[in-house]
Amino acid sequence: MKTIFRSIFILIIAIGLLAIPACQNDSEINAPYKALIVTGQNNHSWEASTPILKEILENTQLFACDIAKSPAQGEDMSDYSPIFTDYDVIVLDYTGDAWPEKTQTAFLEYVDAGGGVVVYHAANNAFPDWKEFNKVIGLGGWGDRNEKNGPYVRWKNGEITRDLSSGRAGSHGEQHAFVVTIREKDHPITKGMPETWLHAQDELYSELRGPAENMTVLATAFADTAKGGTGENEPALMTIKYGEGRVFHTTLGHVTGTGRHPAVECVGFIVTLQRGAEWAATGDVLQEIPIAFPGHNSLSSWDKFRPYTLDELLECMEEYMPGDSRVCLQDLSNMIRKASTDTDKLKAIELSLIDFLKDDATDNAKNYVLKELSLIGTKASIPVLEKLMKDDDTKEMARFATERITNNYTN
Amino acid sequence: MSQTKNINRRNFFRKAAGATGAAFALPYIIPSSALGKNGAIAANDRVVMGVIGSGSMGTGDMRTFMGKNEVQMVAACDVDKKHRDRAKAFMDAHYDNTDAKTYGDYREFLANEKLDAVILALPDQWHGIIGVAAANAGLDIYGQKPLARTIWEGRQIVDAVKKNKVIWQTGSWQRSVGNFHLGANLVANGRIGKITRVEVGLPDGNPRPGTYNVKPIPEELDWDMWLGPAPAAPYRGVSHWDWRWILDYSGGQLTDWAGHHIDIAHWALGFDKTGPVEIEGKGVYPRDGIFDVPVEYHNTARYENGLEMTIANARKLPFGMGTAWYGDKGWIHVRRGGIQASDPKILKEKIGADENPLYFSRDHAQNLLDCIRTREETITPAEAAHRSISVGLLCEIAMLTGRKLTWDPVKEEFPNDPLANRMLRRPFRSPWTLKNN
Repeated sequence: MKTIFRSIFILIIAIGLLAIPACQNDSEINAPYKALIVTGQNNHSWEASTPILKEILENTQLFACDIAKSPAQGEDMSDYSPIFTDYDVIVLDYTGDAWPEKTQTAFLEYVDAGGGVVVYHAANNAFPDWKEFNKVIGLGGWGDRNEKNGPYVRWKNGEITRDLSSGRAGSHGEQHAFVVTIREKDHPITKGMPETWLHAQDELYSELRGPAENMTVLATAFADTAKGGTGENEPALMTIKYGEGRVFHTTLGHVTGTGRHPAVECVGFIVTLQRGAEWAATGDVLQEIPIAFPGHNSLSSWDKFRPYTLDELLECMEEYMPGDSRVCLQDLSNMIRKASTDTDKLKAIELSLIDFLKDDATDNAKNYVLKELSLIGTKASIPVLEKLMKDDDTKEMARFATERITNNYTN
Repeated sequence: MSQTKNINRRNFFRKAAGATGAAFALPYIIPSSALGKNGAIAANDRVVMGVIGSGSMGTGDMRTFMGKNEVQMVAACDVDKKHRDRAKAFMDAHYDNTDAKTYGDYREFLANEKLDAVILALPDQWHGIIGVAAANAGLDIYGQKPLARTIWEGRQIVDAVKKNKVIWQTGSWQRSVGNFHLGANLVANGRIGKITRVEVGLPDGNPRPGTYNVKPIPEELDWDMWLGPAPAAPYRGVSHWDWRWILDYSGGQLTDWAGHHIDIAHWALGFDKTGPVEIEGKGVYPRDGIFDVPVEYHNTARYENGLEMTIANARKLPFGMGTAWYGDKGWIHVRRGGIQASDPKILKEKIGADENPLYFSRDHAQNLLDCIRTREETITPAEAAHRSISVGLLCEIAMLTGRKLTWDPVKEEFPNDPLANRMLRRPFRSPWTLKNN
């Protein structure tokens, strides 16, 4: 059911997108910063990716996003001229026909004067012949790019290396989940992140070339030859300084076709994009890294591009059986952990857990909730615990919770 | 063997120790008068032993002790018939008889067998109850690490050992190995100055998701008894190895290895009877499958003297696995099979007799046997094991509560933090209880 709702939801957004004029201030969100997503042509499904980017950015409550949709490929581009200077950050989800010259000039002036830019995945395929644009994005791929566009940039022997040998630009092996390794631990975008984390199935962009001037590689990913990769540590996240402007470039986030898009559901992608956008807009990052951030061996994804609410988590847990995904269980625990110094929030969570225990759910789900309740429950939980102690399948964990709630274990 | 005779022999060890005093100073040398024919030790003078939990670890320990002439191994207890039968086969082959006894219930084992000492090698959820029961039975104990699944259970074991005046040796055998002893001894005697920081690198744990289905309980296994005080759960084939990845039975590699590398860290620092005053940490928990122990963790424990100990996945630390002490005059890192220092000369330093040399043992099992006779403390007594696993368990609580916790290592509680205090102990599944009096 959930998937159907999601598909309908995306469809509605997509229809909405098609209906909107080329550039519009469509956001009614009250947020401190404004972001503009430049889209409308792409060799990937921009119809799917643009609403996802918008959602991811707006979920930070830092950004209100507008969308600047270009004319379709081959149509007249002469009137495509988003007002970049109205925005704190421009998010590029575009690769396609050349912009009119005035738009190009306006874009470069915007960045040069201190604007923020996020380069997302295939946007680095755009405009191989536009020299200044390539300085903005640092590295690009495909579009007959080669050594004339600049070096390959790789992490080798503990440092970033530049390789000017001749050859094509842009490739990737088969899609797979891969480890992203942070190379700049103290950058505001990456600070506090696990040094290595597992990114969900994605294209691992490789052999990118470009001027790579004033560029810092924040993270790389190893392109395993077993997956058709280059055998190199390829840049995955970068920042570029262009004039006074700040550019965050992520090669991650492949979206094509319909259905699920694991690369952009990955919490690692979502959080790096959110932090990268905040940094591009402001020069600093105040967002916290969520507990659900992936680890070296553990994937982590948000199918709603944000953590579930408590009600959503509990609904998601209702049919839990051992062996099923533990995501909603873990996120419930994480939510409780995060609230552990906030008595009011804990109280609200306890009441929701009590309601959950009164309703239909598997014994396994109830027993998990009982274990959490054993950590945060108060006397308010006792009546439901007494009831569950009468049921053979929940009596032990109900007793477990009761004992912890009613006993003082200290000396 | 009658009850009286057994008690008499045990008393013999204790009296002998009292009477001869310094004659039993380490290393222990068996007086020739105690030897029987052909250098064998007379049966009555042997340490009669059994094992509770004869899986891979328990069988390994059993065979180590069985290799000692002064030991007579007589019985095995395991909830898996295959395991206890295998243990019996080893004993019978070793002694060339069919005398070894087997039990499925430790209570019958303890009631019927007249032992001097017992090996305990059980899943963690059982450590508290059986450790206390064995001590209350008056047995000297070789107990596997980690000491217990909760801090409260660990304290119960320590108290029971003390009350019954039994000898406890923990399976933290690194203390009896040269490089660990050397590193700890140098640190303890100031060779790298005042220690300000310690890093303890431990394994990740099992990254593969557990996808075990419910299976029929094998005929040879008493699954309900295997679970014991842990929450009821259907059988999924985790009883012999993969229980290590389930929080109901273990804290994962963090708590398993706390008894090795935190143990070594504490030993050098003189923290065998104390603990940190503050702890915080972050863990990543699996999001699929039935395994739920953290596979990634990064914790910091602070001690009263300002020392900071990092306990994290080895691959996140500069030296990887092992223990690294940082002092104001250098550093030393020990791991299995190696030792290194900021200056190799440090490792050549001798610790004089007028300094404070650490306890010396080069044979962890023999150390217990020696102490059974001398009634001296072993190299890893229960309190030391309790304090090292307490750090692992405090990390676990800090990760589960998600906040920085203040710890009182004297009272062993979190001051003014009733929610964290709930995690010092786990309710047991009925009918199991642990009453220590």
